[in-house]
Amino acid sequence: MNCAIVRSRFSAFIDGDVGAEERRALGAHLRGCAVCATELSALETALSALHELPHADAGNVAAAVRDRIELERRGPGLQLLFRPAWKARPLLGQSLVQGALVFTMMLSVVFSLGRPWRGVDPVDATLSRWETRLPPSGTEGNPLFPSAGVSVPQVRARGQAPEPFLSPEGEGSVFLETVVARDGSVSAVTLIEGDLQEARALADALRLERFEPSRVGGRPVAVSLYRLFSRTEVRAGRS
Amino acid sequence: LGTAEIAVSRAETVSEVAALESSLVERCRKGDAPAFARLVALHERMVVNLAVRLLGDREDARDLAQDVFLQVYRTLSRFEGRSSLKTWIYRITVNQCRNRQRWWRRRRRDQAVPLDQLKPSEESQLRAPSSTAPFEGVARRELAERVQRALLRLSFEHRSILVLREVEGLTCDEIAVTLGLPEGTVKSRLARARAGLRQVLLPEVGAA
Repeated sequence: MNCAIVRSRFSAFIDGDVGAEERRALGAHLRGCAVCATELSALETALSALHELPHADAGNVAAAVRDRIELERRGPGLQLLFRPAWKARPLLGQSLVQGALVFTMMLSVVFSLGRPWRGVDPVDATLSRWETRLPPSGTEGNPLFPSAGVSVPQVRARGQAPEPFLSPEGEGSVFLETVVARDGSVSAVTLIEGDLQEARALADALRLERFEPSRVGGRPVAVSLYRLFSRTEVRAGRS
Repeated sequence: LGTAEIAVSRAETVSEVAALESSLVERCRKGDAPAFARLVALHERMVVNLAVRLLGDREDARDLAQDVFLQVYRTLSRFEGRSSLKTWIYRITVNQCRNRQRWWRRRRRDQAVPLDQLKPSEESQLRAPSSTAPFEGVARRELAERVQRALLRLSFEHRSILVLREVEGLTCDEIAVTLGLPEGTVKSRLARARAGLRQVLLPEVGAA
């Protein structure tokens, strides 16, 4: 038995997978051949070291496997939503309803932004009601006030202050509003402050006045004038 | 105990283990989560250990162990019980390791097997017997590292046979079932794998 054959049988020899006769022949060769004996010893040492390799720590494999199985059982992502209803989680229905409500609210807000306010403002509503009741602006029932765009009516024929207002002794004043109509006549006289008897006499006198009517854009308009009549007593002093 | 009694005792033990295994598999098939957890707990160490030896990286091995048990979970219904559960799981592990190696090779990662990374992690795992003298412990540790590195220089087929035989302690017929090879092929490959390991270790061990 030469060295090559002996070495090719090392593996079977180590496993005890050789017959009695072959075992004797191999033993005889190894006793006489130091090189093969060393070779076998080296192989046995290497295999022994392999056998004694430390066992690796398994770590947390069991827990990781359990998690992955659970994940697989549930199904990932959208699969959760599209699986049959009887397999859905108990809270899934509620979550979808809540999600739909929130989505609807967001849509409502988005569509309402940028649209004009269609609600009725209470102040505007009152004004519009008054506007419907009042006569057209610039007429005798709803006169304008003299301003930058509305000229002051000029007097064509002034009335005389009535005697009853001038004759009494003492001082006095009457504050009146007169409406100068579109034809230049005085259509209304209203007492704002003062004695009523004196105001009546003054009103009769004022109604006789005639004006060059105010105009807006060339069109005659009725205007309202506030007028204050005062009586001052003047006494001659003794020298 | 006589030889016959030992044989009977061994047969009883084997049949008991088989019965327990069969019961466990049956419960797992019915979706019994604690039973599957038990199955994983019984085999995780063996799977991770085999994967570490075949891949050379502990983190990869743990990651692969997860894939192995997921595959076990998915295919347990197809387990026919013709081999032991352990052998079946070994087979899945070896196949997964082979696939992963091919994946690495396609991405040229097999050239970057982390031998140096293996060293400290394995070193920390090594526990020399308390009766061993300190210098002897160091020598054993160094030899273990060299052997592990030598192992990774072998072909995957030789490495897997050597690890199943020498590290996991499977018999040749168990290896044959695990790898789906005839027993004779297993023996001849084992002889070549051992010679290959010896060849790789020649400069170091030969001088001893």
